[in-house]
Amino acid sequence: MSEEALHAVIDDLGALLLFTMILIVAAGQIYRAIYAVSAQSLLIALAAAVLATATGNTDLWVIAGVTLAVKAVALPWVLHWIVQRMDIRREIEPVIPIAATLALSVVIVVASFQLTTSLGPVRQAIAGNALPVGISLTLTGVLVMATRKTALTQMVGLFASENGIFFTAMAVTQGMPLIIEIGVILDVILAALVMTILVLRVRSTVDADVADLDRLRG
Amino acid sequence: MDVDSGLGLMAACYGAGALSSLLLARLSGRLALGVGHLAAFAGAVAGLGIALGVLLGAPGRTLTQPLPILFPFARLSLSVDGLSAYFLFVISLVAVAAALYGPAYLRAHSPDAGPARQAAQGFALNVFLGSMAFVCCADDALTFLFCWEGMTLASYVLVVSDDRDGENARAGLLYMVMAHGGTALLLVAFLILTERSGAFDFMALRAAARDLDPATRTTLFFLAFSGFAAKAGVVPLHVWLPRAHPAAPSHVSALMSGVMLKVAIYGILRFAFDLLAPVAGPLPFSWGWIVLFVGTISAVLGVLYALQQHDLKRLLAFHSVENIGIILIGVGLAMILWRQEGVGGALATVALTAALLHTVNHAAFKGLLFLGAGSVLCRTHVRNMEELGGLARRMPWTAGLFLLGAIAISALPPLNGFVSEWLTFQALLGSASRFHGPAGLVIVFAAAMLALTGGLAAACFVKAFGVTFLGRPRTSHAEHATEAPPSMIAAMVWLGAVCVALGVAPGYAMPLLDAPTATLLHGPVASAVVTARGPLVLSTALMPSGADATAISMTMVAALLLSLTAIAWILRRGLQPALHRAAPTWTCGMKPTSRFDYTATAFAKPLRLVFEALYHPRREVTRETAGTPYVLRRIHYAGEVVDLAETQVYHRVEREISALSQAIRARSTGRIYGYIGFVLGALFVALLLSELGR
Repeated sequence: MSEEALHAVIDDLGALLLFTMILIVAAGQIYRAIYAVSAQSLLIALAAAVLATATGNTDLWVIAGVTLAVKAVALPWVLHWIVQRMDIRREIEPVIPIAATLALSVVIVVASFQLTTSLGPVRQAIAGNALPVGISLTLTGVLVMATRKTALTQMVGLFASENGIFFTAMAVTQGMPLIIEIGVILDVILAALVMTILVLRVRSTVDADVADLDRLRG
Repeated sequence: MDVDSGLGLMAACYGAGALSSLLLARLSGRLALGVGHLAAFAGAVAGLGIALGVLLGAPGRTLTQPLPILFPFARLSLSVDGLSAYFLFVISLVAVAAALYGPAYLRAHSPDAGPARQAAQGFALNVFLGSMAFVCCADDALTFLFCWEGMTLASYVLVVSDDRDGENARAGLLYMVMAHGGTALLLVAFLILTERSGAFDFMALRAAARDLDPATRTTLFFLAFSGFAAKAGVVPLHVWLPRAHPAAPSHVSALMSGVMLKVAIYGILRFAFDLLAPVAGPLPFSWGWIVLFVGTISAVLGVLYALQQHDLKRLLAFHSVENIGIILIGVGLAMILWRQEGVGGALATVALTAALLHTVNHAAFKGLLFLGAGSVLCRTHVRNMEELGGLARRMPWTAGLFLLGAIAISALPPLNGFVSEWLTFQALLGSASRFHGPAGLVIVFAAAMLALTGGLAAACFVKAFGVTFLGRPRTSHAEHATEAPPSMIAAMVWLGAVCVALGVAPGYAMPLLDAPTATLLHGPVASAVVTARGPLVLSTALMPSGADATAISMTMVAALLLSLTAIAWILRRGLQPALHRAAPTWTCGMKPTSRFDYTATAFAKPLRLVFEALYHPRREVTRETAGTPYVLRRIHYAGEVVDLAETQVYHRVEREISALSQAIRARSTGRIYGYIGFVLGALFVALLLSELGR
């Protein structure tokens, strides 16, 4: 694959990633957000595979496989399972209206592209527009966490934000050392584990959502 | 056995000990404890072998061992040069005793400990010893920091493992906070260096340090020095030490006081003379003087606070502050004198030799004293001296060995403490005549303070030994004490033998100091200066003409003392022809009770009055009378002295921090998404700022 074709593919994937991110932000139902984050992880795996063929870095194949298995399949399935288990039908609870969140995410995306234009030398070395896309994915993920009250939607935001970090790291360095990528993935699994336990335990013992914990403030 | 494969062997011993403690605990806690300590013993012996192999091998020999590549950005390796080998020697020397002492002590002290606790103790001891050994052998920043952290965490586990009361947990927490504060400073110092070098190995760091400007170099040194000082317990960073050291099991106290503090000294030496040293010319002016000053203050304050302690192990812990101060006096002096025009390298070598010799000496006698205190503790379960007394008859071996350690730490001939303090004095006095004006005054002040320290230490140990071991037992705990088990006695005998050997024939130990002094100073080596006139005579060979005035033969001193004692004994036997009988002490017709004996509080009272300004003593006397004020039923006395650093610095900081956190708590919402919003805002602002700064 030629250099330019690679850049074009990565740019296209970046556009799709941003699109899934908008889906996550705009999702009015929690199932939609889960499917969107699953699709986003699938795209990340695809990007890893593309980079693997382009650079010949075999570690990236491993990362693509792990991403597919863990983030595109296992974690969304866990989220899905929790939603069913807790039997929540209510809509996700935004702190500010979804339209306002969308407007904020537009600001973030524009600002990311604007801010990274000055990083000329870095952008030369990396594949296409991966850096601004990655930064806006990361920040928008945090935005999702900051504008949702329930723990489950915050988990979705965490995964999306983490996808952004992954994409940036992968595209900028053309494959980070395997041990670090694996470490990052373990991090997410651990966060999902802790939050799952917390959500289920809090619900089963005091019948409250994690968001209600602010009543415990001393 | 080849020395080169020794590092692997040592790592294997400690690793096997740690693992087997965990695995065997399912079968039997006792077995886990035994096997864990056995492995630690083997590891310590291997460490001794490596250290001696390097120290006594060909000059300039360095053992290097690359480690597997874990991170693509850093090459990790171990390297044992003269300095590393010397500290490895000190660590292994005490580790041998601790591993021998541990199982019997833990069984006697806490017989009802469950297998989980025993497994944790065996595991943490091996990790602790292993990381201490490998901190000294690390040849790159990552290995160094990793082992440094392992050392802190393992010793924390050991500190809180002893008893499950709140006091231990609080001591452990304070230790953890102080140690991590120090580690943070070290981390910053290392990161600034690695950022400049682009690599983590010490070779690259040395190269990067070559073109530092003086201000950065000095900042880096003081960052590292503060980090190490927090670990070494230098005043005013010592507050954790008198709490954490007594809380640990006694053999671990011996390791923490005797050895772990020395690892910090190793770090200071490594940074000052090796990593950060300029290519040519002396070290920056401020370094040595500040180290000298801080060491002097630590020495005096450490012993002064030790005097007023009635908890045997706490008293010993304060003495560690004092001895670290004495070591730092030597280190600071060596830093001042190194490569100084016209002063000559010999004096720097004497100062460094004194510091290094005091390092091993303090490890030996403080280890011995802590093990002795541990024997008392495991037989009486009491740490307060006021509740002991009369143990010399009941525990003769422990008493004798404790007395030996007490003489050594009081810097009395013919034991090892005297030798290193004598050398420190020689270095101080030798340099005092070479510096004029204020600098000379500071050195004379340090010498005077060192003399005061020695005297106060002797007073302190007269109190500690007298109140604990002599007189009559004050409580039934002390009355029913029995001698410690043989393995514990054996461990103490080992350290006692080291004290005697280093005291009576220090000249023969000087070759051990050649490699570290050569590695650091590149000047004349220790034995060439100190034992220039044969191994039996210590001379500093400083004065061009009157060198004879500063020479001493410890062997002759010991022989003299021995023969004088023998003559006195013979004369006494000869003059008293068997016309004596044993009788109770004459107490004006009253029946003697243990209440007649000197108490620790009473013994320390004169010094409490003299140094009132430092102690701020608080006393509280309550009298219970029967109707009239002339008939007293009982008097209750309570008193304590405060640690100036604690009240003046730490309590204020604590108040400020809690006021601040109260203010924050009053304004916090407790909403998770709100906090995440703060994170997002901070990230965004950081991005904007980085853009603007471009």
